[in-house]
Amino acid sequence: MVWQGTLALMVLKTLDALGPLHGYGIARRIEQTSRDLLSVNYGTLYPALLKLEQEGYIRSEWGVSENNRKAKYYKLTRAGRKQLAREAHQWKQATTIMDRFLSPTKEVS
Amino acid sequence: MRQVRAWFVRIWGLFGKNRRDREFAEELEAHIQLHVEDGIRSGLTPAEARRAAIIKLGGVEPTKENHRDRRGIPFLETLARDLAYAARTLRRNPGFAATVVLTLGLGIGATTAIFTVVNAVLLRPLPYPDPDRLVYIAMSFGEPGDHAFSYTQDYAAWKSHSRTLNQMAGYMRFQANFTGGGEAERITGAYATLSLFPLLGVQPVMGRTFRPEEDRPGGPPVAILSHAFWKRRFGGDPSVIGKSLTLDASPYTVVGVLPATFLIPDRHESDFDLWVPFAMSETGKAKSIMLQVVGRLKPSVGINAVRSDLEPLMQQFRRGPKRSVVVSDWHERVAGGARRSLVLFLCAVSFVLFIACVNVANLLLSRAAARDKEMAVRRALGAGKGRVLRQLLTESMLLGVLGGIVGLALAFWGKNLLIAWISRNLPALAPIRLDYRVLAFNLGLGLLTGVAFGLAPALQASQVQLNESLKEAGRSAIDGRSGHRLRNLLVVLEVGLAMVLLCGAGLLFKSFLRMRGIDPGYRSDRILTLNVNLTLSQYPKPLDQTRFFQQAIERVKVLPGVEAVGAGTSLPLGGYSMTVSGLTIEGKPDAESMVSLTMVSPDYLRTLGIPLVLGRYFGDADREGAPTVVMVNESFTRRFFPGESSLGRRILNPAKKTNWMTVVGVVRDIRPWPEVAAAPEMYLSYLQAEQVHLRMTGGEMGSEMGLAIRTSGDPMSLLAAVRSQIALIDKSQPVHDVKTLDERRAGSLAPRRVTMLLVVTFAALALVLGSIGIYGVVSYSVGRRTHEIGVRMALGAHQSQILGMVLRNGLGLIAAGVGVGLAASAGLTRLISSELWGVSPTDPWTFATVVTVLAASGFAACLVPAWRAARVDPTRALRYE
Repeated sequence: MVWQGTLALMVLKTLDALGPLHGYGIARRIEQTSRDLLSVNYGTLYPALLKLEQEGYIRSEWGVSENNRKAKYYKLTRAGRKQLAREAHQWKQATTIMDRFLSPTKEVS
Repeated sequence: MRQVRAWFVRIWGLFGKNRRDREFAEELEAHIQLHVEDGIRSGLTPAEARRAAIIKLGGVEPTKENHRDRRGIPFLETLARDLAYAARTLRRNPGFAATVVLTLGLGIGATTAIFTVVNAVLLRPLPYPDPDRLVYIAMSFGEPGDHAFSYTQDYAAWKSHSRTLNQMAGYMRFQANFTGGGEAERITGAYATLSLFPLLGVQPVMGRTFRPEEDRPGGPPVAILSHAFWKRRFGGDPSVIGKSLTLDASPYTVVGVLPATFLIPDRHESDFDLWVPFAMSETGKAKSIMLQVVGRLKPSVGINAVRSDLEPLMQQFRRGPKRSVVVSDWHERVAGGARRSLVLFLCAVSFVLFIACVNVANLLLSRAAARDKEMAVRRALGAGKGRVLRQLLTESMLLGVLGGIVGLALAFWGKNLLIAWISRNLPALAPIRLDYRVLAFNLGLGLLTGVAFGLAPALQASQVQLNESLKEAGRSAIDGRSGHRLRNLLVVLEVGLAMVLLCGAGLLFKSFLRMRGIDPGYRSDRILTLNVNLTLSQYPKPLDQTRFFQQAIERVKVLPGVEAVGAGTSLPLGGYSMTVSGLTIEGKPDAESMVSLTMVSPDYLRTLGIPLVLGRYFGDADREGAPTVVMVNESFTRRFFPGESSLGRRILNPAKKTNWMTVVGVVRDIRPWPEVAAAPEMYLSYLQAEQVHLRMTGGEMGSEMGLAIRTSGDPMSLLAAVRSQIALIDKSQPVHDVKTLDERRAGSLAPRRVTMLLVVTFAALALVLGSIGIYGVVSYSVGRRTHEIGVRMALGAHQSQILGMVLRNGLGLIAAGVGVGLAASAGLTRLISSELWGVSPTDPWTFATVVTVLAASGFAACLVPAWRAARVDPTRALRYE
């Protein structure tokens, strides 16, 4: 199970890195980059995509896949790009803080 | 921001369901195909690849479902589905739906109608800017009751030294004879201080308000017209500004016309026809020595601060009780008087609504039993308890809201009737409308009643025992003990509530009859009464005044249909009366009591049918120059000469300390008002007005007289003739306040009558609904027991035994309800004791009558189903099911 927020951020990053992509492609990519750490149940991706689309961060249109199949392609909007930058920044900040907090430090007294 | 956008998209997503479903199915299919191709490339067979893809996806249907949930708003979609289903169910049972909706509509409609009035009077703020900061200021001599007035001298001191009020203004009612342009008219106007209109934020629709130089002694006489008066007496003349009008023979210049919506929210008076400047001096000297004061609080000042600010500014008199200041929120002061009766109505009507809800709940319970199987099937197919509960509640809330709509229509239609009825009990406030608050109240009430009557049946239905219900053919499991007990309990409750309402109504009705039945001491039938207030500048001396009324009496006396005519300074139920205290009575050194004083024409007491007890009535010989005579009533004798006769005693004239007046006659007491007991009273002959020389503030006592005309037929039919006879003497002296004496008596009882009628109406409604409830439960139980009754009859039970069995069942419920109701009434009727008169809140006769009425109508309600049960044909009953 992946957190909704994290999943959304991964989707945005994927679309940013690879350009327009269909749902299956996004799912594979997330699975690969997370080195199977996060075993996505592919189905959960679709409500997340729908939510992002409702919020206006991504757009979808029908296109043709690499092996000539009709598929729905998702791509980042301007708002999505901004949202990605913002979220990525927050995420980094959060991890840095957690890193600092969890790494062994000398007791200052 | 983004969330809002998402919600909009989701609402949009509620539509075009099929297209969207298709599209997503295609998208998923493409996804699976892509996955399958990858699988085949890595060496799987197509079938294995497809299986793997679907497993990885997490199933096709669940994915679709998750997608659908995110696409629209599942809550709303379920609601829409439940509503559609409920509507279908109701359409299939139009009789049931109509009964429920009408029952609820009655209850909700009555409640909403009362609420529109409560809203307008108690909830809506006064129609002035920043109304929360308006306070009403009056003085008190330490006596309880309504404090309405202040002295102008205090007002002047407050106005210049107050530190807690931003603005302060005063007004005072006056009456005057308006002449010029058509018939002369007695108008009611008000003096207003310069500050009044700015304080209330009112802008004239034409012209202007007062100027500083106009609001001081000797300032130019100007007047501002009310919108209604301008329309009525000036035909809405657009060039009225600058024109002149005449009040009490003095000219005034019209400077403005007020908007139609402007009014002073005062529960004593109706609208003022026109306004003139108060013209008070710096020290508070003015034509009127009293006034009504309103003020506007400074920011962050409380009401108590005003009191301690103003009180030291009052000059205490050397004699008389200490005066203090009473400061109240203006809205509270205006509406406060109506609160009690409005709350009473709201309580009464909510009882009716509650009874309606109980009835509907019972109907639903019966129906739930019939739908038992449906619920069992739903549960068996996987609907949770919550889901079934939700669907049933949706259904009952739909019924509630439908009832609310019917109720709103009833309220809209009934509100004018209601207002016409109870406006006498209300302050003059802005028009009573159905505004958003009323609509919200109505909708809320519909939903609330939906939950109130739907919850118990729904809870019971959702707890259905699956196996039992599905197994039992025909007979319902809900119909068992607990459902039965709940229904009976509800009926008992309902009867109890109806009983409380009936007891209240009965007590109010009895008080009203008591009060109406009081012998007032005079005869009020076939008497026309009217008032004439002579313009003082035209009739300055008592002799002139007496001559006018003497002429009027002579002229009216000879009109055909007139039996007798009398004139008096205050008619019974006619407003003001004069009282004197500190009488000097020969041989009685300390006569401190207050005594009312009325000056009358020789025939006045005879015309009103006030019987003589001792001595003689006044005669034409009791005129100027003759010894001054006085008549007294029995209370006077009892008070000052207990156990003796007052005839021939002498009383010193309170106005002229050299003039002794001799008692020549004693008459029976009359009650000045229905609720007020008779008090000591003196009558003087108005033919001796000059030598008696009594003065009232604002004029000679004899300038204001009421005429009482005893007629042989309908009193009102003589009005035109009387008017024209008086106009023939002087057409600039208007006749006003024309009523028959019977109308005056009815008017004095009107507020009680309205309260009584409303509560009686609600009680009757409760009785009808309660009877329907009893009928419903008994006939339902007969229906369910048809089989049993058949068996009993087949085994030899007699028709009368069956009849008795059913009646016992019904009467048991009624008896329990009456018991509950008696206990509740005994406790609750005390709350309306201030509305009662001459009746104890636990009057046994009223209670007994109510029990009888309730038992009789309950019995009638049981009789029909009982009779039906007794006529059951055993052979058919046994085949039933």
